[in-house]
Amino acid sequence: MSFGLIDILQSLIDGILFGSIYALIGLGFTLIFGAMEKLNMAYAASSIGGAYVGLGLATLFSLPLFLVFLIGPIAAGLISILVYLVSFRLIPSTNHLGSLMASIGALFFIDEVIIHETQGSPLTFPELGIFAEAYFMLGDLGFRGDLIFIMIFGLISMGVIIYLLYYTRLGLATRAVSQQNVAARLCGIPIHTINISTFVLAGILGGFAGCMAAASVGVISPLLTIPITIKGLIAAVIGGLGSIRGAIIAGLMIGGVENFFLLVRGVNERDIYVFLLLFVFLVLRPNGLFGNEINRD
Amino acid sequence: MEYYFGILQNIGFHTLLGLSAYLLLLTGQLSMAQVGFFAIGAYASGILTVIYGINIFLALGVGAIIASFFAFLVGFPALRIKGLMLVIATIAFSEIVRLYFFNLRWLVEKDGVEVGPDGAQGFREIRYFAANGWEPSHIVSFIWIVVILVLFALWWLDRVKAGSVLRAVGEDELAAQSSGINLTVVKVSAMTGGGFIAGIAGGLYAHSTTYVDHNSFTILLATFAVAYPILGGLKNVFGTLFAVIFIQGILIEGLRFLGDYRNLLFGLLIILVMNFYPKGLINIPIFNWSKLFKRRDL
Repeated sequence: MSFGLIDILQSLIDGILFGSIYALIGLGFTLIFGAMEKLNMAYAASSIGGAYVGLGLATLFSLPLFLVFLIGPIAAGLISILVYLVSFRLIPSTNHLGSLMASIGALFFIDEVIIHETQGSPLTFPELGIFAEAYFMLGDLGFRGDLIFIMIFGLISMGVIIYLLYYTRLGLATRAVSQQNVAARLCGIPIHTINISTFVLAGILGGFAGCMAAASVGVISPLLTIPITIKGLIAAVIGGLGSIRGAIIAGLMIGGVENFFLLVRGVNERDIYVFLLLFVFLVLRPNGLFGNEINRD
Repeated sequence: MEYYFGILQNIGFHTLLGLSAYLLLLTGQLSMAQVGFFAIGAYASGILTVIYGINIFLALGVGAIIASFFAFLVGFPALRIKGLMLVIATIAFSEIVRLYFFNLRWLVEKDGVEVGPDGAQGFREIRYFAANGWEPSHIVSFIWIVVILVLFALWWLDRVKAGSVLRAVGEDELAAQSSGINLTVVKVSAMTGGGFIAGIAGGLYAHSTTYVDHNSFTILLATFAVAYPILGGLKNVFGTLFAVIFIQGILIEGLRFLGDYRNLLFGLLIILVMNFYPKGLINIPIFNWSKLFKRRDL
């Protein structure tokens, strides 16, 4: 196999652009972890679920296809509320294992509902309109329009989230709940409402990422859930759980590494190197790129 | 009869997997790596009997030792990370192992046929039992002798000091450390022990199904492995056994008439148990005979 510098650069660019999907999912994991110090394993499943609901409703009522990208995120937000209610609301906050297991249960439940409803076969997903056809050339390097759009969307949502968290009353309350749960409750902060709003925010982001992932691949399938869950988690961990910019940067990095090894070692082996990258980080820098030096459990 | 033997075998492997996760959960480590050790045990002992023609007992033992060696290696980095990070790291480990076997091609010609792991095609013809005239009933008995031995060993562990040490680490690491328990030794040995049990289970699985491929070792199986002890409860080993019989025997085999609605039940069951019996099914009143028949205090 021979490839030049241009091939490597091109595959890195494609990978980094596609990594924006991992970045968005990682952002959702990190957001929920930052608010509750818990992992919502069902997060990517509810994102894909939202995309399915959007596609299903749009086909059922023959709506214009761009509405999929509107209904999908809203549906994902609603599914996230359900996940919160069944996996986090009733389980005491000290029982970390309990809500982790319950959200894994929710992950498989959502996945199985999708498989049951679609008989397990992938569905075609509408493309991103004008963005899908756009293709920019810069010298010998090409940039896919739809992926650039996703990346810009990811950066904007990062900005919006940082604004919400650090410059609004809602953000103040969220940070208070995450730092001192009991004290926040004593101050009269409705912690469940705050947590639900975090879940909805993350869910809407995830729903958008799910729609984008499906649109850029062209099909949607329940098989997407587990890989996106794992890559999103890795992005969140490498970026440092709880760090917003970390998740974005790590997501883009994972996309780049993945596509580089796709070029060098082929499709069967590329994921091994992504996981090895995670191990390198866990051993050398367990707190991630931007994680706090707190010993979190 | 063959059908019931199949179910019994299946319950056997899943019990062993669940017990290997149980041992780690006693020390408070939630590990999704058990399926990785299971896969290592399956491939290693399969390769030993098929390619090198070694006796099954020796092959199982060596497979388990190789699996526990990898568990030992995973145990060390796992010391630096705990809780949720350990879950993610062990998921990554299991996926690395699965992808390694997905890419592993090691074909050897034996009696004119190519045998050995063949990448995505899987590892076929692990026919030690059939070639040596084992009846299905012998295989089932062999598997269950191993299961009962492991059950007894872990039950006995709770009766001696080592069990209390494990549970002390699981309850409160800081307190355990300050009473002079060496966390490194305890955690790494729990990991190694868990890897050993999962390795034996993998070897048994490979030989009784005669065929393994990378699809047998997914994250779903890893979830099952940790779900059994958590659903059953960590009070004693019988919780795990009960959860395996409940899920594999009743939910998956007994409710066959429900068709693919059964798959929905697994996720739902985890959610329900975690919400209503966070300490496990073993705490449902029907299992506490003594409490149920105790005289009411009036």
